[in-house]
Amino acid sequence: MILETFIIAVRSLNSNKLRTLLSMLGIIIGVGAVIAIVSIGTGSQQQITSNISDLGSNLINIDQGWRHRNSSSTEFTLEMAEYIELTSPAVKKVLANLEASGLLIKEEINLRATIVGTEGYYQEINKYYPLIGKFIDKAAVDNASDVIVLGSELATELYGKQNPLGQKIKFNYNDNNFVFTIIGVMEEKGRGITGDLNDQAYIPMSTYMNKLANSNQVSGFIAQANSSKDANEAVEQIEYFLSKYLGDDDQFRIRSQDQILDTISSVTESMSLMLGGIAAISLVVGGIGIMNIMLVSVTERTSEIGIRKALGAKKRDILTQFLIESLCLSGIGGVIGVGIGYLAAYLISNIGGWPFVVNSLSVMIAFTFSLLIGIFFGIYPAMKAAKLAPVDALNYE
Amino acid sequence: MIEVRNLSKVYQSGEIAVEALKKISFTIEDGEMVAIVGPSGSGKSTLMNLLGCLDTPTSGSYFLDSTDVSKANDDELAEVRNNKIGFVFQKFNLLARDSILHNVETPLIYAGIKKKERKERATSLLNKVGLADRLDHNPNEVSGGQRQRVAIARALVNNPSLILADEPTGNLDSKTEAEIIDLFHELNSQGHTIVIVTHSEKVAQQTNRIIHILDGELVKDEVVLG
Repeated sequence: MILETFIIAVRSLNSNKLRTLLSMLGIIIGVGAVIAIVSIGTGSQQQITSNISDLGSNLINIDQGWRHRNSSSTEFTLEMAEYIELTSPAVKKVLANLEASGLLIKEEINLRATIVGTEGYYQEINKYYPLIGKFIDKAAVDNASDVIVLGSELATELYGKQNPLGQKIKFNYNDNNFVFTIIGVMEEKGRGITGDLNDQAYIPMSTYMNKLANSNQVSGFIAQANSSKDANEAVEQIEYFLSKYLGDDDQFRIRSQDQILDTISSVTESMSLMLGGIAAISLVVGGIGIMNIMLVSVTERTSEIGIRKALGAKKRDILTQFLIESLCLSGIGGVIGVGIGYLAAYLISNIGGWPFVVNSLSVMIAFTFSLLIGIFFGIYPAMKAAKLAPVDALNYE
Repeated sequence: MIEVRNLSKVYQSGEIAVEALKKISFTIEDGEMVAIVGPSGSGKSTLMNLLGCLDTPTSGSYFLDSTDVSKANDDELAEVRNNKIGFVFQKFNLLARDSILHNVETPLIYAGIKKKERKERATSLLNKVGLADRLDHNPNEVSGGQRQRVAIARALVNNPSLILADEPTGNLDSKTEAEIIDLFHELNSQGHTIVIVTHSEKVAQQTNRIIHILDGELVKDEVVLG
């Protein structure tokens, strides 16, 4: 009986294809949008996450707290890196952030860049290596050599396709010009916790302190825990040491890579939740469209309903017939919407350059929701049809 | 057998109550061919709706095959219409989107008959009314007379106790009308009870008995010696 009713319903949808398609449109767009948006959200989040975990989830960022601008604040010094290493067993290595912003000058090109004073271990901590040439090595640090390694973007902008190795470049900082010899160019790297690495340049830390900045003040440290498991313990140990050493918890701020990851995740999650919610509204609007069409359909087919009732159709038969029609509208619309959602997610992820991930849960939820909408918005028109008195329906003009 | 006892129908429209049928009583035996005639507004359509279980009376009783159906609920009435009554309408009332075969099968669908048997019964009846070669056509692809034959086949498909025809020849020319009336005669001779509601004296005269309705009352019940 249900099968017969189903066939009757499908036949009636099939007899007015354009209207069927138009009334499904809302559901198609709604389901498609939900799937595409959730997929885009997941894909871009995965990309950000993988960029950050590329840097290693055992990294801990230490910088000066909000009170460091006060006159009473204590500056971070280079020695603190050694002290943290000594007092915190869970910490493997601590690197100071020595950063200076100035102009890189090559003939007529002036380029604003951040110069980082560092040492060889920087590569291991950031899992970031030179593409050509070499990085700052121990000899360069010991001799405070005037050598520089360029980030990939700097190298491209300054030298294009030319080989920059061995070239001399000027760095203007605090109205003084310093000349460095280029010994390497770094590989390309996604954004990390210390910002975009690609437009930074690296010089030996000794050169930085003795020639460039003439000071041993540092803006912060990057600590590497023994392993990702030790990260939380390392955070606690560093916190303990720093609060003793600086005498004030507000003088510093510690964030592990995981905490940063959490923050970013929760931001992107709430973004895709919000967008998904907007898409879900279009699903509901689509449902109202279906209800509208079903109501028109019931009125149009009053005499058909009358004939069916005269021939022995019960209320339930008519109710099922119209309910199945609206379920088919929303169900087929849902299937098409899933297809379109996949396609849109695929295309956009290609353009955006993040992995194409479709969350099967979002597909199931969107599809089930579309079926529920079919029932919810179909029930009223179907009841209306089922309740028609046979006499009135037969005589309807 | 049809037995109608003091059947009344009152239509209430706002303050005004219109008494369409006033305590009508009559009996129709199995195998009769009866015409119910009367001018428009006489109440014959109301009577037809009540006899067809499409509507319920305000008071009185209606026994169809010894069962009182005047107090039945909607679904019970649907079942009675499905099992015991075959309708033939003036406007044919076929399902326009469905094939002729499917139209004749429809009452059997609601009776829960399996597909194979449905098709056999519908085909054999369409054969009987001379439409065996039109099974896959839609109703709008055949003539008015043929459409009415489809409707008659549909009315017969559930072996009803009563065939109820409402102005069955109202939309047909006189030649086709004669053919359809002949078909009713043939069915009647095979034992089917036929009630034709009409305002046409010519059609009524070709039945065995005429029930005259006027202003909601039975004014004359005459036997026709056809």
